[in-house]
Amino acid sequence: MVNLLFYAAALVAVLTAAGVVLARNPVVSVVSLLSCFGSLAVIYLLAGFQFLAAIQILVYGGAIMVLFLFVVMLLNLGGLSPEAEDRDDPLFHDRRRSAGGLAVAVALGSASLIGILRGARHLTEPTNGFVLPAEGYDALPALAEAMFTRYSLPFEAASVLLLATTVGVMVLAKRQRSAPPAGEERP
Amino acid sequence: MNDFLIILIKTCVIYGGLIGAAALMTLAERKFSAWMQLRYGPNRVGPWGLLQPLADGVKFIFKEELCPDGANPWIFRLAPILSAVPAMLTVAVIPFAGDVTLFGVDCGNLSITDLDIGTLFLVAIGGLSVYGVILGGWASNSKYSLLGGLRASAQMISYELSLIMIILCIVAMTGSLDLRAITESQNTGNPLSWNVFSQPLAFVIFVIATFAETNRHPFDFAECEPELVAGFHTEYSSMKFALFFLGEYCAMIVMACLTTTLFLGGYSVPFWEDAPWFIELGSFCAKAGFFAFLFIWVRWTLPRFRFDQLMHLGWKVFLPLALANLLVTGAVISLA
Repeated sequence: MVNLLFYAAALVAVLTAAGVVLARNPVVSVVSLLSCFGSLAVIYLLAGFQFLAAIQILVYGGAIMVLFLFVVMLLNLGGLSPEAEDRDDPLFHDRRRSAGGLAVAVALGSASLIGILRGARHLTEPTNGFVLPAEGYDALPALAEAMFTRYSLPFEAASVLLLATTVGVMVLAKRQRSAPPAGEERP
Repeated sequence: MNDFLIILIKTCVIYGGLIGAAALMTLAERKFSAWMQLRYGPNRVGPWGLLQPLADGVKFIFKEELCPDGANPWIFRLAPILSAVPAMLTVAVIPFAGDVTLFGVDCGNLSITDLDIGTLFLVAIGGLSVYGVILGGWASNSKYSLLGGLRASAQMISYELSLIMIILCIVAMTGSLDLRAITESQNTGNPLSWNVFSQPLAFVIFVIATFAETNRHPFDFAECEPELVAGFHTEYSSMKFALFFLGEYCAMIVMACLTTTLFLGGYSVPFWEDAPWFIELGSFCAKAGFFAFLFIWVRWTLPRFRFDQLMHLGWKVFLPLALANLLVTGAVISLA
């Protein structure tokens, strides 16, 4: 039963994650990312991390994705017509930049894959001196202590990453808007 | 098997109660508004108009369903569901009464489940209902709806922050995220141990923030008839429109229950520590009913704010006050 639930949640997570990048409409991307987070929360629940699951929904589902949706709607990215996509946009049609972006993506992907594969071997035995809290990872005091002492730097770094993403979205949208096709009046 | 049956019955009873209460609240809204304006209100269907919600429901089901031109059909249909389901799910963690014994069978505590992280669950799932509003506004392909959805999302995020800060104060005082533990910590027989007396400022901010969180008057900018027609649900008809309303009223009832649990001692009865469960349930319903009535009372008493006033109140008044309250609470707890 639990295994079945896990595979269902994992399948939904993978499919919706693919939907995030494949969807042409940014709002559809946001909705599929939301369902992806939801299925990740289910996986956390199945693993026994109630607190993490609730936080996943609360922080990512309830706050960050609403912010993303808000930004997407304010910038009116949903209104991209097919003609606008076919337009010779330097950002999307520059071969060199596309190749560069692809290279970075492949590098990041393989790095995380190697990380996962290396990490999977150590999954059963916590190494480098980290002592498992007696009440388990899910106990609030243990979690709070780990987060605000040992892992405070990665924790802050993750928030900077999210900020960078938001700024990146703004930059992307601004570029499209400030580069109208030749012969068209700027608003 | 027996345990499963008990949980099933409890779930049916509590959800039946919630839907029934939501239906009655739509009637109460119309009745009270009528009395406040010296009118009669609905009085044709059933005695005192009591069957009016039923008649409304039947009417909604038989109305034509419209999907506007150029709207995204999937998201348009998803939005009312996303608005109603999270609001209904949150009632699962509310403790309505203590141990229930019926016909000699011990049925456990009167709540669907007592989660260790009940408060977090409620805030997390309740926070999802903003998607119904914002996606409904976007998918309608209408300017009024979009503006309503944008306003609602900005408003709900702003006030959710203060709301969570206030809940954190109570959680810090109790030392538990479990709503039943929070109730039990106030259930001493002495009403002065209710959190409303130790956290008066938090109580005031919480009650006002719940009005903004549920998009109710005087903060109902998601609808705002004079400016936006009907806001995010302008384009919705038939049962989809009714689902938005069901979600709104369920959210109000859950917020009333949450205020009762956090600040008024939940099901605790004044001067009677070990009251039987039906007295406790009555006590809970009376307190929650008062807050539900407060939603209606305020709606028909106060005029609407302006949107910039709402944002000012949320970010520059409530959030600093709530943070300061949390700071003082934390200092007192760690010093005491």
